[in-house]
Amino acid sequence: MNSRLRVLLVDDELAMRESLAAWLRQDGHQVTKAPGGLEALAEMEHQEFDLALVDIKMPGMDGLELLRRIKDERPDTLVVIITAYGSIESSVEAMKAGASDYLLKPFDPEHLMLLLEKMARQRDMLRENSALRQRLSEGECASYAGLVGQSPAMQAVFDQIEDAAAAMAPVLITGETGTGKEMVARAIHGQGPRAFAPFVTINCGAVTETLLESELFGHERGAFTGAVKARRGRLEMADGGTLFLDEVGEISQKMQVALLRVLEEKRFQRVGGNQYLTSDFRLISATHRDLTELIRQGRFRQDFFYRINVLTIVIPPLRERGEDILPLAEHFLAYFAAQTGKPKPGLDPRAQRALLAYPWPGNVRELRNVIERAVIVSQGSTVGLDKLTFLAPTPEAEPASLTLAEVELAHIRRVLATQGGSVGLAAEVLGIDRSTLSRKIKKAGLRKT
Amino acid sequence: MASSRDIPPPVRPGPEVEVIPLGRVSATAVAVAAAHLQALLGLNALVLPPRPDPAHCHSPTRGQYDAGLILRELSDQPNPGPLRLGIIGHDLCLSFLTFVFGEAQLGGRAAVVSLHRLWKLEDGSPAPRAQVLERLAKVSLHETAHLLGLAHCRDGGCLMRFSGGLADLDRLGLQFCPACQRQLTLARQRLRADPDRVPAAPGPGPA
Repeated sequence: MNSRLRVLLVDDELAMRESLAAWLRQDGHQVTKAPGGLEALAEMEHQEFDLALVDIKMPGMDGLELLRRIKDERPDTLVVIITAYGSIESSVEAMKAGASDYLLKPFDPEHLMLLLEKMARQRDMLRENSALRQRLSEGECASYAGLVGQSPAMQAVFDQIEDAAAAMAPVLITGETGTGKEMVARAIHGQGPRAFAPFVTINCGAVTETLLESELFGHERGAFTGAVKARRGRLEMADGGTLFLDEVGEISQKMQVALLRVLEEKRFQRVGGNQYLTSDFRLISATHRDLTELIRQGRFRQDFFYRINVLTIVIPPLRERGEDILPLAEHFLAYFAAQTGKPKPGLDPRAQRALLAYPWPGNVRELRNVIERAVIVSQGSTVGLDKLTFLAPTPEAEPASLTLAEVELAHIRRVLATQGGSVGLAAEVLGIDRSTLSRKIKKAGLRKT
Repeated sequence: MASSRDIPPPVRPGPEVEVIPLGRVSATAVAVAAAHLQALLGLNALVLPPRPDPAHCHSPTRGQYDAGLILRELSDQPNPGPLRLGIIGHDLCLSFLTFVFGEAQLGGRAAVVSLHRLWKLEDGSPAPRAQVLERLAKVSLHETAHLLGLAHCRDGGCLMRFSGGLADLDRLGLQFCPACQRQLTLARQRLRADPDRVPAAPGPGPA
């Protein structure tokens, strides 16, 4: 259990605020102070808190009113009322209004410590409930969602997931696009001790460097044009949980240095901020790129690579584990049939052969898309070959009456598709020289992709 | 050609923590606290002459001394100097806590510890002297480590674990866990790398 809390301390008395904040920081909690109810609500607009410690007697908005407002606007924030003027009536009123506890000053230090531990446990339970609700709404099993596989290669990946889940070391997942790298990351998270803590993801290749910095580190109000209020970054959001950096190979060298510092010092600042924050997260990264090649080219830092690559999981492409294709197809058929409210269809033999023969350049994601489309357009209880739409035709799509030239042409198309349209690479695979292949492509009127 | 007068005298390391009795406090107890800071925290500890009892920090309503007020006085020094650990015989409190064994400014300059509650066993009978001194050593080490930036630790055997009462305090060993030990090492390095923080005592002048 992560016992550190993000605490909002609300008391109009400066000395009390300062001394209690200092004491809480000694215990490792992150403390924000507010002198009154309005200031407290303003702070809550900018960041989330696990616990609000609220003095009951304050000018303007009193503690009970603030408690009601917090419960309205941030129901997951626990509230403890603190007062020097105890009465049964006020304590009952506070508990009815949603306070988690009620403390009379001065309190026994051990009592305060036990209270904080109790609040940390309640916070964790709230997070677990939230995570479970999310999983139920997604309708998928948390641990191996989508990770269907009976091939030896995938069995080895499943073993590695179990090992990684038990450890806390950073994991680097590599594999072609569409092999399920995020699914593996979620499986590691879901099988580990942080299963009910946040799983925070960011696609490093999908945003500019400036936006990536703000997304990761957060920013303070006024840090840049458009920063009208402070915002927590993904590093903060992942506290206690897992941070998943997808497409880590796309990160600039400058960002690699910044992240390396965070991983080494365990602290960071928001963009435009001067306060050091800490976050206890487990790092999982993924990339489809060859990072050792990028290091050789000087585009990826070796020290950053070693920091993120303590454990490595390589997901093989789908074409190298043919025995997983049909089980995956069956899995997706069931999933999309349930989604569309149809009975689960089967695959006719020609469709099965076509799925097995296809090279799957888009890997599992492409298979998923093909099956989803097939389920939507199919009417009967069986999905036929005609309902499968691939990127490139498969041998099973061609009847035995084809001429040799037609078979050759179909094969050239297939190989070009698997080589990303590269004539040079396709020529190598086909065992002919590039000029010969170019001539055949031109004669057949094939457009180079 | 430079003469021996131009060469600055060799500098011996000065005190890194000053241990200050506040009012009437056993000299042995103070010496034991200083020795443990030296031995377990690796800090040069210097025991200063006693200061007058901080009677103005006494709270008549509580019947205790306000640790916050004492810390404010201890940390009030014109130039950056050594850390300061005050040792007092009276009972300490904070406005929101019924009592504290000691209190410190996290990452700050001043801490204070009290002997008042350390003299008794849980049943109220007098504790053996050795146990009292060991308790004082533990509280002194804990509070001084707060000055070096260490927060409370959840490791059951670590000196940085929070003690809510004498039973908790007596269960602690005189050691820090590996993680806290690493933090202490880094904190000491930072302390020594900053010359403003540790003023050097001048060595002997030229003959």
